[in-house]
Amino acid sequence: MTLLALPSNREESWRWSDLSALPEIAARQPQGGVPERLPWLDCATGGPRLLFVDGRLVAAESNPGIVGIGAVDIAPSDHALARLVGHEGWTLRLASGHAPLGLVQVIHASTGAADHLPARIELDVDAQASVVETFLGHGWTNRLSEITLYKGARLMLARRILSEAGYVSLADRVTIGEGASFTLTTLAAGGADTRLDGEVRLAGDAAYAEAGGALLARGRQRHDANLVVRHEQPHGVSRQVWRSVADDQATCSVAARVEVARGAQKTDGEQSLKGLLLSRTGTINSKPELEIFADDVKCAHGATVGELNRDALFYFASRGVPAEEAKALLTGAFVADALERIGEEAAREAFLQDAGAWLAGKQADTE
Amino acid sequence: MSDVRNREAQEAAERAATYEWGFTSDIEQEFAPKGLSEDTVRFISAKKNEPEWMLEWRLKAYAKWLEMRAPDWAKLNVPPIDYQDAYYYAAPKKKPELKSLDELDPEIRRTYEKLGIPIEEQKVLAGVEGARKVAVDAVFDSVSVATTFREELKKAGVIFLSISEAIREYPELVKKWLGRVVPIHDNYFATLNSAVFSDGTFVYIPEGVRCPMELSTYFRINAANTGQFERTLIVADKGSYVSYLEGCTAPMRDENQLHAAVVELVALDDAEIKYSTVQNWYPGDAEGKGGIYNFVTKRALCQGRNSKVSWTQVETGSAITWKYPSCVLAGENSVGEFYSVALTNNRQQADTGTKMIHLGRNSRSTIVSKGISAGRSDNTYRGLVRVGPTAENVRNFTQCDSLLLGDQCGAHTVPYIEVRNPSAQIEHEATTSKISEDQLFYAMSRGLSQEDAVALIVNGFAREVLQQLPMEFAVEAQKLLGISLEGSVG
Amino acid sequence: MLNITNLHAAVDDKPILKGLSLSVNAGEVHAIMGPNGAGKSTLGYVLGGREGYEVTDGTVTFDGKDLLDMAADERAAAGLFLGFQYPVEIPGVSNVQFLRTAMNAQRRARGEVEISAGDFLRLSRAQADALGISMDMMKRPVNVGFSGGEKKRNEMVQMGILDPKLAVLDETDSGLDIDALRVVGEGINRIMRKPDKAVLLITHYQRLLDIVQPDFVHVLAGGRIVRSGGPELAHELEREGYGAIAA
Repeated sequence: MTLLALPSNREESWRWSDLSALPEIAARQPQGGVPERLPWLDCATGGPRLLFVDGRLVAAESNPGIVGIGAVDIAPSDHALARLVGHEGWTLRLASGHAPLGLVQVIHASTGAADHLPARIELDVDAQASVVETFLGHGWTNRLSEITLYKGARLMLARRILSEAGYVSLADRVTIGEGASFTLTTLAAGGADTRLDGEVRLAGDAAYAEAGGALLARGRQRHDANLVVRHEQPHGVSRQVWRSVADDQATCSVAARVEVARGAQKTDGEQSLKGLLLSRTGTINSKPELEIFADDVKCAHGATVGELNRDALFYFASRGVPAEEAKALLTGAFVADALERIGEEAAREAFLQDAGAWLAGKQADTE
Repeated sequence: MSDVRNREAQEAAERAATYEWGFTSDIEQEFAPKGLSEDTVRFISAKKNEPEWMLEWRLKAYAKWLEMRAPDWAKLNVPPIDYQDAYYYAAPKKKPELKSLDELDPEIRRTYEKLGIPIEEQKVLAGVEGARKVAVDAVFDSVSVATTFREELKKAGVIFLSISEAIREYPELVKKWLGRVVPIHDNYFATLNSAVFSDGTFVYIPEGVRCPMELSTYFRINAANTGQFERTLIVADKGSYVSYLEGCTAPMRDENQLHAAVVELVALDDAEIKYSTVQNWYPGDAEGKGGIYNFVTKRALCQGRNSKVSWTQVETGSAITWKYPSCVLAGENSVGEFYSVALTNNRQQADTGTKMIHLGRNSRSTIVSKGISAGRSDNTYRGLVRVGPTAENVRNFTQCDSLLLGDQCGAHTVPYIEVRNPSAQIEHEATTSKISEDQLFYAMSRGLSQEDAVALIVNGFAREVLQQLPMEFAVEAQKLLGISLEGSVG
Repeated sequence: MLNITNLHAAVDDKPILKGLSLSVNAGEVHAIMGPNGAGKSTLGYVLGGREGYEVTDGTVTFDGKDLLDMAADERAAAGLFLGFQYPVEIPGVSNVQFLRTAMNAQRRARGEVEISAGDFLRLSRAQADALGISMDMMKRPVNVGFSGGEKKRNEMVQMGILDPKLAVLDETDSGLDIDALRVVGEGINRIMRKPDKAVLLITHYQRLLDIVQPDFVHVLAGGRIVRSGGPELAHELEREGYGAIAA
């Protein structure tokens, strides 16, 4: 596959990105094979399970249930990376009032090359779903998801990127209808670089949106999140909670914007972007942005960058806790702010564990 | 040179009485030929009797400018500017002389009164015949205040001149620092300014000197119109202090549409510069016709240990404001501050904020920005806090608050935070609010008119910033906010 | 138990302690009193092993071992407890989690087995009850949203659970009303007034000493101990002020 021109850092939404590794990965051949360990979440009710290796469904390990496989009804994207996705992918479409049994779990594994896949989630009136996506491997995994929630629908989407190397780029286009609720939590706790793009529209009255996550980076890793939450109608509520941790020479960048359109009165939008530097050579970039065209709104953001609180570290030490353990605990607490928002207990616990494993210096769950 | 421009130059020359296409020092005509070319730059330089190095500096800037493009990243809708359809040098325009204040535009008169400007000073500002002397006499004791000030400054060793004079009288000092903080190629408007700056101010405070007066006081009397491409350079030597105020609360009518000023500040060891701005240029009418484009580059270099620069701005005027007074905090323990109130009404647009570039150990910065949007205006805070890898123990606190009056305006906050040192502590907070019905009703039930109530609440909102202004301007700035909002609520 | 000899310490290159010597034996309660700026808190932090408190001369031994050679957590594992004048808030980490981590870390360092969840819960409930801290508060983040008095009581809960040999309590009485003072003082007596334990009370005022009766009182001024005596010295100080005594 040939890559067209990649955006440069001169473009505002790519100012903190580094895409230089992509052409090389895209030129590679996949090694193939199914990962030995597949970290399915263990939950009482077995929901649909999908395993994609290098963008192809592995039927033997999958149980798609109501999830459709094949051509995806999705509008083309002009996003520099997302536009590469083809037509074949997966679709979760729920009729009015329906909910699948248990979690919908999707594992995306890459054996070293690039693969591009679209997904479509469409929940009709009052339908509900919880989806957990897990990313593994070491190639370039590129995804575009289009999500539509009709009146009163609810979607909990949680993603964990545990890939040990390579690149993961995920783009979302989300439309939330009246009274519908969308929550997206992303955990990057592997060794891959990531690029997360989101365009979340609160298109109906009193819609709810949550989009955030925890980005953990070490070595020369780079995580780069770029998110827009757009309030188009009154009474919407949105929350963006991001926690970034950069160790070694790593860089975490979060650009998150709240837009309030003319007439979207009584909007309540909040952003909390916090960065933690664990080393002298890491970098944290934040851009919490507000763009407001309505007067009767409550929009606020807070952003901080710093290192672990020295008083707290000494307090731990004075109670006998060794420095490394204290650091891991404090960093864990810092990250938990974002992960504890995951509503599904099984997913929340798993994500906290993955973060914990990363903090303990182990490659989470993927070996 | 194209025929068209040739012809225009010809016309301008004819208009300008005894025009000679030579660059002698005593040309009397008022205008440079219309349009911007190398010849225009040469004309300005010659007109100001500048040394060769200054001309070269300008030409270098002009050549650079030709290669540059106007920035488009700000949240501004800037109509295309025809740079060839403007005059780049014009002697300060004489205001029509009035016989008395009664002849003054009643609108402006009313504003003066609301601002509480003393009658005699109003006469000076309005250009009433013979007023200057009267004003001076009335406000101070006899003698020319300007002269008194000059002497006092001279005694202290402070150099305070127009930049043109300084280029001639202190060429080494100017050469050393001009373009040091805002380089020739810095940005489109700064480069344009470097090529064609008309005049401006040069201040040098010698080592250990505390400038004996607020340099604002001087301006207040002189109300000097330094033209559309103003260039200011302030150097505070070791251990010195100066407070400088530019602008005026009284409305400034100016025919020049584009204002592209450059301000450079340098603070050496233990020096402190406090730079305050009240900007009330003509904002255009309620429909957005006319008004000034205020595209300003202001930057301070805190080069020395313990140096400090504090920017305070109250921006209520101009159709479009594009300015980011910034601090490069290179010195150990250096301090940068930015306090801003930006008010937009009707069709005004403002994109303003600051950059705090932390390079020195223990450098600290504070940013307090209060944006007030009314009418159909747009008001953006844009800021950058950057911490370099070797800058240990940096502290920054940023507070950005927006107040919206009415549902047809916009308020935006675009902060960039880039941190490359773990010992930094960076905190940023932003809120958006409106004036609540409850607040208004409460104030009105105590007898305030709606306009007064709004002004009161807006002033409360902006208080933290207004407090930073030199005393005599704080009161006027307060009133100014109220006046600028007139008609926006109701 | 604790032997301080000719201790000199500096903060930011500024000498604060200038030759302080003190011996504390098991079973004893010592009070260190002194005016503001005498170096009282510095003494606490130096003993606790806080970064930035540089020992420039002198020795400190704890149970015969060189205390100054140990990191802060090793000192805690060795049985030293530092009560903070301003207990630190740690958002996101619950009191229970904090203490259990601390307790197990100390046990591991001493080569002991970790405490079971059940035993730990019983222990913490007993200590929290004794100090009027609810289990609900124990589940909240460390000191976050606690009042001044609650923070100090929480320090005592921690002391009770960690069960140290030597407690160095820095201004534990500051910011307490009279009832809270009694609760905290009685907590100290209950937990630490034992033949194998010792307490170093750093305080500005007499009032805590009415509840926790010291065996020895020392006056710290200008970075050194300028006078030592029995409990009566505290009363003398209360009557005559530091000026007269420290002069």
